[in-house]
Amino acid sequence: MTIAGYVFMIIGGLFFLLGGLGVLRMPDTFNRIQAGTKATTLGAFSVLIGVGLVNFEWSWIAKIIIIIVFIVISNPIGSSTIAKATYYSKYKPDNLVQDDLEKRGDE
Amino acid sequence: MKKLFGLILFMGLGVLIILALNNTISFPKFGSVDLSDRVADAYLDNDNVSEVGSANIVTAIVVGYRGFDTLGEVTVLFISALGVAFLFSFKKEKRLDLKFKPNFMLKHGSKLLFGIMLVVSLYIITHGHLTPGGGFPGGAIIASGVLLLYLADDKFRSNIKGFKVLEGVAGSLFVIIGLLGLILATSFLENFIASGTVGQLLSAGIIPIIYVLIGLKVGSEIASVVDNFLTEEESA
Repeated sequence: MTIAGYVFMIIGGLFFLLGGLGVLRMPDTFNRIQAGTKATTLGAFSVLIGVGLVNFEWSWIAKIIIIIVFIVISNPIGSSTIAKATYYSKYKPDNLVQDDLEKRGDE
Repeated sequence: MKKLFGLILFMGLGVLIILALNNTISFPKFGSVDLSDRVADAYLDNDNVSEVGSANIVTAIVVGYRGFDTLGEVTVLFISALGVAFLFSFKKEKRLDLKFKPNFMLKHGSKLLFGIMLVVSLYIITHGHLTPGGGFPGGAIIASGVLLLYLADDKFRSNIKGFKVLEGVAGSLFVIIGLLGLILATSFLENFIASGTVGQLLSAGIIPIIYVLIGLKVGSEIASVVDNFLTEEESA
């Protein structure tokens, strides 16, 4: 159980590393947002599950479930809100091919 | 000329203060006094910790030994909230218009988030005597949840009257508990309930009760400040 927990933590750390690398390497804001959010969501999950496996007690697991639910809700909402704010501040990447939101109008 | 005079006065005053405070009997040289053997040891002493009953020594100092200071601190916050309310109160209020409309996901997701934030803040407030945190950070988390609801929904208004009542009740109960200490024990804000075992949730006497009251008071105060900042006068 302990070893499995540490393996999960290492996987989570790798995802964090990839997320950071993506934020550095991606060309524009939208790509950076998606790299950062997706990688950190999975990374945080893995690290938290690892911590839960190492300390396999109810008091820890209940807290970890609350944290995971918080991340599940807050991370996508935050990133989508940042992306929308970026869009409304008239930022557009140079190589944008299709803009569905412009066609569809507001909301 | 006026500025030059002010600068000379300012620097002269600074030099005088440094000369007066440095290396005299009442103000020894900076760093020459070891403060750790004066109060810190008494606070960290095992007998005193078990007497106060709070596993978190910071809480023991903030609410136990220095409870009266904390009452003043809460009063400072109350006065600043009162000042904001005085500046931003109008006869007819409406929500400040946001620049763009929040979408469906933000509006409804933030309500879910508010529930979790409330749970976390209540946990932090009620465990103030056991773990880091307590009334002030917990109250700030409640208020930030309210701020999230305000920012995520352009029509949202919280029940600000309820917040004001809650704040007043919490503040008065704080003082009443202090006065009960004066009546049942010897001094203001003295611990008159048995401390119990250190580390238990129901321990440390009046400290958790006071911290819950501080948390409610801080949370409702900052929430009403948020409401004041995000409303404007309705133009007829």
